[in-house]
Amino acid sequence: MFSNNKTGWLLLSPTILILFLVGLVPFFYVLYVGFFKWNPLAVDPSMQFEGFGYNYRELIFDEVFLSSIWRSIRFAVVTLFFELSLGFLLALSLLSSFPLKSFFRGVHTLPLVIAPIVVGSIFKLFSVQGLGPLPHFLKDFFGYTLNYGLNADQAFWMIVIMDIWHWTPFVTLTLLAGLSALPQDPYESAKIDGANNFQIFIYITIPMMVPVLIVVIFIRLMDSLKIVDEVWMLTGGGPGYATRFTGIHIWKEVFEKRFYGFGSAMSILYLYITIVICWLLYSVMVSRGKSED
Amino acid sequence: MKKLVIALVASIFSFSVMADGHAEWWKKAGAPYAGTVLQGVAENTPPGQFAGEVLAKDFEALTGIKVQLENTSWDSMYDKAIKDMEANSGIYDFVYIEQDIVYDYLNRDFLVNISEGLANNPDLQAPGVSLDDFTTFIDYFKDGSGDVFGVPMEAFIKVYLYRKDLFEAADAKAAFRAQYGYGLAPATSFEQYRDNAEFFTHYCADNGMECWGTTVQGHTGHPASTYEFLESIGPSFGLYNWGVNMDSYQSCVENGGQLNGGRAKAALNFWTQLLPFAPPEALQSTWSEVGASFAAGRAAQGWVYGENAAWIATDAEKSAVVGNVGVMLPPTAPGVMTQAASGNGYIGYFDGGAYGIPHSSKNKEATMLWLQYVAQNEVQADWAIAGGRITHKSTYADPKVMAVDEQADGYFTLMRDTGFLYAGAPPFPFHGAGRAAIDPFIYKALAGEMTPEAALDGACAALDKVMSDLGYQG
Repeated sequence: MFSNNKTGWLLLSPTILILFLVGLVPFFYVLYVGFFKWNPLAVDPSMQFEGFGYNYRELIFDEVFLSSIWRSIRFAVVTLFFELSLGFLLALSLLSSFPLKSFFRGVHTLPLVIAPIVVGSIFKLFSVQGLGPLPHFLKDFFGYTLNYGLNADQAFWMIVIMDIWHWTPFVTLTLLAGLSALPQDPYESAKIDGANNFQIFIYITIPMMVPVLIVVIFIRLMDSLKIVDEVWMLTGGGPGYATRFTGIHIWKEVFEKRFYGFGSAMSILYLYITIVICWLLYSVMVSRGKSED
Repeated sequence: MKKLVIALVASIFSFSVMADGHAEWWKKAGAPYAGTVLQGVAENTPPGQFAGEVLAKDFEALTGIKVQLENTSWDSMYDKAIKDMEANSGIYDFVYIEQDIVYDYLNRDFLVNISEGLANNPDLQAPGVSLDDFTTFIDYFKDGSGDVFGVPMEAFIKVYLYRKDLFEAADAKAAFRAQYGYGLAPATSFEQYRDNAEFFTHYCADNGMECWGTTVQGHTGHPASTYEFLESIGPSFGLYNWGVNMDSYQSCVENGGQLNGGRAKAALNFWTQLLPFAPPEALQSTWSEVGASFAAGRAAQGWVYGENAAWIATDAEKSAVVGNVGVMLPPTAPGVMTQAASGNGYIGYFDGGAYGIPHSSKNKEATMLWLQYVAQNEVQADWAIAGGRITHKSTYADPKVMAVDEQADGYFTLMRDTGFLYAGAPPFPFHGAGRAAIDPFIYKALAGEMTPEAALDGACAALDKVMSDLGYQG
C-alpha cells in the first residue's frame, strides 16, 4: 500500500512542482506585494511597508475600482443569462434532426476556436464608425446611429453581444453533451403520465441537467468576470469608464501607472470577491437541488 | 510597397557604394559576432518598417549579424519592452525609446550608456559615424553629463495638413466667402480652422463626397487622444508642460498649475467642438487612423504626425490625395508663436524616438555595431523618404530628399526651418502614470459625458494626486 502511494506521489510530483511554481508562487508574491506601497516611478522607488491594511483601506474608498467591480458583475450576469438561454435553446435544437445539421453545428462552433484578441479585432472592423458595415447598415435600414466611441450604453452592449457570440457555442456544446447523456426512462414515464413538453422540460430536463448547468455557470461566470482582451481591442475601456471592467482597470493601474502594490491588492481583493460570488452561487444551486430531491 | 522596393534598390546601391569605403571595417568588426541574432522591439511605423525590412538585411549581409526587429503596436511595444527590462530577462537587445518615455527609462536605469560603451571599446567605433552628425533631437537622449543613451531613428514634427484641391476649388472659395465674409484659406487661427471645418463638412455632403472638415485624433479608450490634447492642441493655445508647474509639480490652477486654467479650457472646448465636423471614425481614431483617414481623402484639414506626412503626400499606392497635400504650421493663439520663437514655449510636439540598449541585453557589443550602422549618414536619405523622418543635419541637403520635399509641399524644409518652435515631452519620470490619470477625463469630454471645464478640473485633481502619491510635491 505504502509502496503504491509512494509511486503515485512520485508520478504526481512533477505536476505538483509545476503547479506550485506557476500557481502558488506568483499568488503568494502578489499577496506579499499587496502589502506594500510600491511604484518604481516614485521619488522613492523602493517597496515601503505601510501596514497590512494600507492598500486595502485605500481600495475601499476607490470609486473607480468599486464601480469597475459593479460593472464586471453586471456584465457577467447579463452575458450569463443570454448565453445560457441561447445555448440551451440551441442545444435542444441540435438534439433533433434537421437538414444541414452537421454543417450548422460546425459553423456554430467556429467562434470558440478564435483567440479573444482576434474576436475583438473582428468586431472592431465590423462595427467601427465610418468604416464598418454594421453602423452603415443600421443607419441605412433603421436610421440608428451606432457609435460606441461616443455612447457608453452602446459600448457596453457591443461587448455583451461580442461575448455572447464568442461563448454561446461553448455553452451549447456542453449542454448538448449533457442532454445527450440523460436517461430516457423518466421521459417515457412522464409521457405515459400525460405530461406535455413544457412540463417535461421544467420538471425533468432542468433538474437532471443541474450538475452540468453548475459547471457551465461557473466556467462562464469566472471567465466573464476576468474579461480583458476583447474589450481592450474593441473599446480600450472607454468611452470614459464605460467598459473599464476590473481586469482592464487592474492592467491600467499596474502597467500604465505602475502602482504595483496597489494593483496587487486590487487583484487579491477581486479574486476574493470572485470566489465569494461563486461560492454563494454554488451554495444556492446545491441547496435548491437538494430540496428538489 | 513600391516605395519600399525603390528604397531597397537605393539602399543596395548605397550599400555597394559603401562597400568601396568602410565595408571591410564592418566585416572585420562584425566577424566575432557573426551568427548572433539581435532581437529588437519597436513601434510599427514607416521608419520602423524600413529599419526592419531594409537596414537589418543590409547589416546582416555586411556583418553576419542577424537583426530581428519586432515592429508592433504602440501599446504592445511598451508592454513588451518595459516588462523585459523590469524582469531583466534579456529578451531584447535593443528597444525603441520614444522621446516622452526616455526620462522614465533613465530614471529607472534601464539603459546602457552608449557613449561610455563606445569609449571603452575603441574597436567597436565605426569609421565615419559621429554622434555630432545628428540634429539637436539627440539631446533628448542624453543625460546630464551629455552621454548618449539612445540613437535617434526617427524625428518629425506634427504639422497642419490640408487638401489643396478642396481649398483651391473655385466654387468652394465663392461659397465660403459668401457664407463667412472672408476668403477661404488654410487656417492660421482657431476661428478660421473651425470655420473651414464647418464649411467643408457641408460642402462635401452637398457635393456627394465622403469627406469632412477636419480630422480629430479623439479615441475615447486610447491615450492617443490625451496626447493630442496635451502635446498638440494645448501647446498651440499656450498650455505647456501639461499645465504642470515644473517647480512645485502642481497642475491645478489653485495650486499654481495651468491644466484647468483658461488656456487649457479654451483648447479643450475648441477641440471637442470640432467633433461634429470630423469623420465618424474620429472617436475611435489614434494617430494611425488619423493618417489613414486623411490619406483616404476623408478630411479637408487636420493635425497629422509628420511620420505620415511624406507618404500621404507622395505614395499613390496608399494615399488618395497625392499631389493635393498642403503642409503648414498649425494655427496658434496670439502670443504663442512669439513665446515659442524665444524659447519660452512651443507650438506642438517634436516627436520621435531612438534605439537604446537595455542593461539586460546579452549582446551589447553587437548591438552597438547595429546602432552605429543605422546612425550612418549614408543610410539616412532613403530612410527619410520611406518614413518622413530626419535625424541627421546633412539629410536635408540630399538630392533625393529634396525631390520628395518638393512633392510633399516642403514638409522637410518646414521641419528644418521651424523645428525649433516645437518641443519634446516635458521631462517627467512619471510620464505614463500621469498621462493615465488624465486619460479618462479627456475621454469623457470627447464623449460628451463631462463638460471640458469639469473634465479638466477632474484631470488636474487626478494628476496632482498621482504626483503627490509618487512623492514629487515635496
